[in-house]
Amino acid sequence: MTALARRRLADATKYVVAAAVATVAGALVIALMGGNVLSAYRSFLWSSLGTAGGFAQTLNKMCPLLLGGLAVGMARRAGYFNIGVDGQIYAGAIAATGAALALERATTPALAVLVVAVGVIGGGLFAAIPGALRAWWSVNEIFVTVMLNFVAAFLTEYLTTGPWNDVMAGEAITRLIPDAATLPMLSVRAGSHVGIFIALAMAGVVWLLIERTRWGFEVRALGDNARAARVAGIPTARITFAVLIASGALAGLAGAIEVTALHHRLILGLTPGYGVMAILIAVLGQSQPAGILVVSFAMAVLLVGSDSLQRSIGLPASAALVFQALIVLSVLFVDARRAVRPS
Amino acid sequence: MTLFVDPELLRLMLTMAAPLVLAGLGELIMERSGLLNVGVEGMMAVAAACAFLTMLKTGSLTVAAATAVVAGIALALLLALYAVALASSQLTVGLSIFVLGTGLASLLYRVVIGVTTVTPTTRTLPSLAIPGLAGLPFFGTVLFTQNALVYLALLLVPALAGFFVLTPLGLRLRAAGENPRALDTVGVDVRALRYGAAAAGGALIGLAGAYLPLAVTGAYSDGMIGGRGWLSLMVVIFGRWQPGWALVGAVLFAYTEALQFKLALVTKAIPPQVLLMLPYVVAIVVLVRLYRGAEPPRALGQPYRRESRV
Repeated sequence: MTALARRRLADATKYVVAAAVATVAGALVIALMGGNVLSAYRSFLWSSLGTAGGFAQTLNKMCPLLLGGLAVGMARRAGYFNIGVDGQIYAGAIAATGAALALERATTPALAVLVVAVGVIGGGLFAAIPGALRAWWSVNEIFVTVMLNFVAAFLTEYLTTGPWNDVMAGEAITRLIPDAATLPMLSVRAGSHVGIFIALAMAGVVWLLIERTRWGFEVRALGDNARAARVAGIPTARITFAVLIASGALAGLAGAIEVTALHHRLILGLTPGYGVMAILIAVLGQSQPAGILVVSFAMAVLLVGSDSLQRSIGLPASAALVFQALIVLSVLFVDARRAVRPS
Repeated sequence: MTLFVDPELLRLMLTMAAPLVLAGLGELIMERSGLLNVGVEGMMAVAAACAFLTMLKTGSLTVAAATAVVAGIALALLLALYAVALASSQLTVGLSIFVLGTGLASLLYRVVIGVTTVTPTTRTLPSLAIPGLAGLPFFGTVLFTQNALVYLALLLVPALAGFFVLTPLGLRLRAAGENPRALDTVGVDVRALRYGAAAAGGALIGLAGAYLPLAVTGAYSDGMIGGRGWLSLMVVIFGRWQPGWALVGAVLFAYTEALQFKLALVTKAIPPQVLLMLPYVVAIVVLVRLYRGAEPPRALGQPYRRESRV
């Protein structure tokens, strides 16, 4: 075997080990909850991949996961951890909802494009705070983005229960946005929306931007060795600021799509931790758009599959988060073993 | 003026500072030994769930706190295993443990309790008036009518400071975070020290997680840690890796939290969610000043490889 083939094989082994660990852990939890492991796994796969409706669900879930993963991955290429994707998703969703509700009378289909664009800007502006603090005050972006998650969640709670509240609903949700502001469905019967195509397109855009532009080269240089990049004359502060804004804009896009394509309104709990999962997705996908794409699909299957187990055997939604973390820890384990003892 | 220095407000401030002090000191011990643990938030969540569930089943505050401590130690040792034995990126592993803990806490609660309409609650740690001192004007209320864990947290601050500067083990622990090679050269086991620091730090972080259900709420809810784990990491930086200054940082953050409760009682004009944002916004403002001149332990976050060339 050539060295390359051996490395490919080792890479594959790593994911097989991770999947095995998650499968065994899943079986344990299912058995603990008193479920039949085999039939549970059958319904897990059937509900997420086997039916048109289930597959549509999977694609809908994949959209925010892919965009969130790209957001985290992009920042990581510059050497930063954006833990604030959840907050930026909310920021994008708030901005989009605000724009749609302000233009409630408009009937032009261009409204949807405008609303989504406002959402992108909202996410980008929200990430500009950690971006500027990191770029010019060397404040650690992890802390700022985490703190802003709480700020965004409380702001969403305020808006959904206060000024934008749908008085008839009696829940923390806003009024519906006008029809002209909504994105079309892919298949009305299955329930999938066009968001997945936007997300896939963004994966391509991010790849081009990072791998094929001068700006992307500077981002990678910064991430590989910040001091060398500075010495080489790369404007590191400006790149830092820009890359975190771009990262936030991707998350904002995810939030805007959730509003305009899925819920048609802002709801509290719009993101059930997509941003947290996005961290793991970016780590597993090694911050590469192609890797993130594959991993986010797998994670979407995991989410939709465990969702069906929640209905059938009462598996808590949080179980998916545990499985995801276990997968990452197993991959890190295999990775580290190889690094420590090179064959 | 009385609004801001009211004895009841300052009393609440110390009550809310205790988890930040405990978790902050736990993180501080780990960081001084060279281990960066960004999973505190998740560790505290698991500890909170374990403490509450044990309390519910056994009714013993001691057993509940002990369970949380064990959970904290276990997760911290998991981090140390990756950081020390496998030389993984401590940031990546820490974040994974944050996610794992967040999910695991919620999962444990759902598996044991199931879905209920009534949230189960337990009794909480009683306040313990110190005889003779509790009657003092002002200070009596603020300082000497707290629960036992507040006293423990406050006493741990000078104890840890003394441990670092007065004992040989404290010196070695600091050296593990500053210059592990020098330590290794004189025949001290760097790995063992870091595992030890992880266990001690994890125990305190576990206790901090247990504090919220056992001393404050008497109930568990997802997200109840509310960023306190992340704040405790800031407390360490705020304190320049010194226990005494870390206490100051914890008290500062706790003050904004207590003030927000107080303001919510006094004024109805500001929406409650805006007040709830206050501690997080203050934290960001503090952060801007925080990094100026901050010098972390030199080997923080770096695995020690004996065979590597300098």
